[in-house]
Parts: sequence; C-alpha cells; structure tokens
Amino acid sequence: MTFSHLNRRLHLYLGLALLPWFFMYGISSVPFAHNQFFEQRDKAKGLPLWTLRSEHSVALPVPEDPHELRRLGAALLEQAGLAGATRTNFGVYRQSPMQINVYSYSFWKSTQLKYFVDQKKLTVEDRRFRWDHFLTGMHARGGFEQDGLLQRSWSVVVDLVCLAIVVWIASGLYMWWGVPGSRRWGLLAIAAGTTSFLVFTMRL
Amino acid sequence: MYLGLFLFPWMLMYALSTLAMNHRAYFVERYGAGPPPYETEREFVYDGAFPADADLRTISRQILIAAGLDGAHGVTRRKDGAIVITRHDLTTPRRLVYVPSDRRVVIEKMRARAHAFLERFHRRRGYATGYALDTIWAVSVDAVIVAMVFWVLSGVWMWWEMKATRGLGAAAALGGAGLFGLYLLML
Repeated sequence: MTFSHLNRRLHLYLGLALLPWFFMYGISSVPFAHNQFFEQRDKAKGLPLWTLRSEHSVALPVPEDPHELRRLGAALLEQAGLAGATRTNFGVYRQSPMQINVYSYSFWKSTQLKYFVDQKKLTVEDRRFRWDHFLTGMHARGGFEQDGLLQRSWSVVVDLVCLAIVVWIASGLYMWWGVPGSRRWGLLAIAAGTTSFLVFTMRL
Repeated sequence: MYLGLFLFPWMLMYALSTLAMNHRAYFVERYGAGPPPYETEREFVYDGAFPADADLRTISRQILIAAGLDGAHGVTRRKDGAIVITRHDLTTPRRLVYVPSDRRVVIEKMRARAHAFLERFHRRRGYATGYALDTIWAVSVDAVIVAMVFWVLSGVWMWWEMKATRGLGAAAALGGAGLFGLYLLML
C-alpha cells in the first residue's frame, strides 16, 4: 500500500465513521448562527419555557469555597428526587448570595433547581423540549468536568472529531496536490480563502 | 474540493477552538475562571458633542470613531453615569469607559490568551451587529454550515461509487452511527 493509497483510505473511513458528528455539528450550527430567528419563532407560540414540577423544604449549608458547590448540587438533586441525575450531567452556580442554581441535563431533557437559602426552599422546573435547544445542547456538549465513563467518552470523541478535521485538511491538501490539472484553481481557492480569513481576523 | 480548499481556514479554526473549549478545565486551572483581565492602554479627552436626544448606541459609536476603534460592540451606562463600551475586537477586545463629567475616555485592552482568542472566534456571530464586515462574516459561517452538509452528502455518494471500499466503509459508517445512537439514548 502506497502512502497516497493510505491517505485516501484514512480520509474516507475516518469520514464515514465520524459522519454523524460532522453532520450534527453542521446542522446544529444553524440555531446558533440564527438564534434570533428561533427565539422569535418560539416566542410567537406564547408558551412558557419552564414548568414548575415540585417544591421542597431544604436546609443545607452553602459552602464558601466555590469548588465545593458541586457537592451541594449533588445533594440538592438528591433532595429533589433526581438522584439518577447526579450520575449524569449537572452544573452548579451561585445566582446571588442567597440563591444557588443547579442545572441537570441530558440531550433530551433539562431540569433546573433553584435553592433559595434564606427561605429554605428548593424549586424544581422542567424545560419544554425544543428542537433548536436539542441541537445546540448536543453541539455544546463536551469537557471533562463531569463524572462517568460515558460522559467523558463523549468528550474523547469530540477531541477525535477535532483531530479528524485536521487530518481531513492535511490529507485533502495532499490529494489535491496529487491532481496536477486542478492545482491552479486550487491555489486560487486557497489564496482567496486564506486572505479572506486573515482580513476577518485582523478587522473584526 | 475547491470549496474545501477555500474554507479550510474556517474548519481549522473551528477544530482548534473546539479542542481548547473541550479542555477548558485545564485553562481554568492554569489561568483561573472568567475572561482574561483588562489592562489600561491609553486615555484621552473626548471633546466632541452629542446630539441632545442621543441614545447610548449613538454615543458609543461617536466615541469609538474618535478612538479609531469603530466596530461591533455593546454599551451600558453605569449607575454613576459613566458609559461603558465593550468593543468585541476579535484579536484584542477592549473596554472604553467614558466619564461625562470630565469627558475622559479610558481605554483598556484584554490581556492576550490563545485559548480565549480561539473561543471568541468560535462564538463570533455577526448578523445583529449592524456592521458590514460582521454581516459578511456571518454569511461565511452560513457557507461553512452548507459546506459541511454538502461534504457529508457528497462524501457518502463518492464512497458508494467506489465498489472496493463499500464493505469496510459500511462497517465504519455503521460503527459510527451505532455509537452516536448509543450516546443519543444514554446521555
């Protein structure tokens, strides 16, 4: 097998294996790029985004150290009867000195908890499903902050997709150079694209 | 092919910036959470006049033009009356604070950090800023989206045309689709 052959096969099979991710990143960029359109469209429906599911009396101490907030978030999820969620994805942040918010999410569902410290009250709200949120949620998913093998393996695949894009660029350039008849137009396309990109970088 | 050659800088930027964002925890540990800090760059006295009924956008635009920094920005008025303009410059974001009482404008620039620059690039939108170059950038992002979908469809078609690769190609495609489906159900 020659290098050229290996290069073509790598380009092809890597593309086929990672095709769902590449397609998803492409399609899910639409609601990001046209956010206002989707927001206005949803607003016209006149439906609330969040629905109250339950309220609980809770009196848990709030740690001063922001790094300890995650542990409080797990405890609040448990108090709300969302113990399973502690094994999936959630984040915690201090909304105000007297309010801690926890958001727990999957590709399909999103729940937010609000802990009002001075009122010793915890509210649980579910977000209405929206296709644009489903897509942007999938697009934005990543990072190694979450626990769990499956969660982290998704982030490993995200890394793999990034590296694959670099490989597609390099292998694509190599394949283009191997077709002498298309070098002139190819050089023109590279020069035009690179120049435009540099102008954006310097002027935006 | 030519579409790919033209758009490869965009794809490279999106790949590298996604890597940086996927490993944000590393950068947070190294530099701390939140955006990079601002440092004072220069200051000047703005001696122009604003129209009597000038809104914040008009004022910010005049100040930015005077500073030679016109471009996409956000603007707010602080409780003490000072006007804070956040100039969304891709390479060097700046903050301009205009104090009406003494007409002084303080310009601060954000400290340069590669991962923050990549993330700004990745998140850059353009249609709502009102600046032509930003709109052209937004159109280029739409072109990348269309190109990605086109590459998927044309790639599948080209693979199917090469009979010798159908078996292994189908295995790769099914393996990837199966894993993606599993994530859809489990995550």
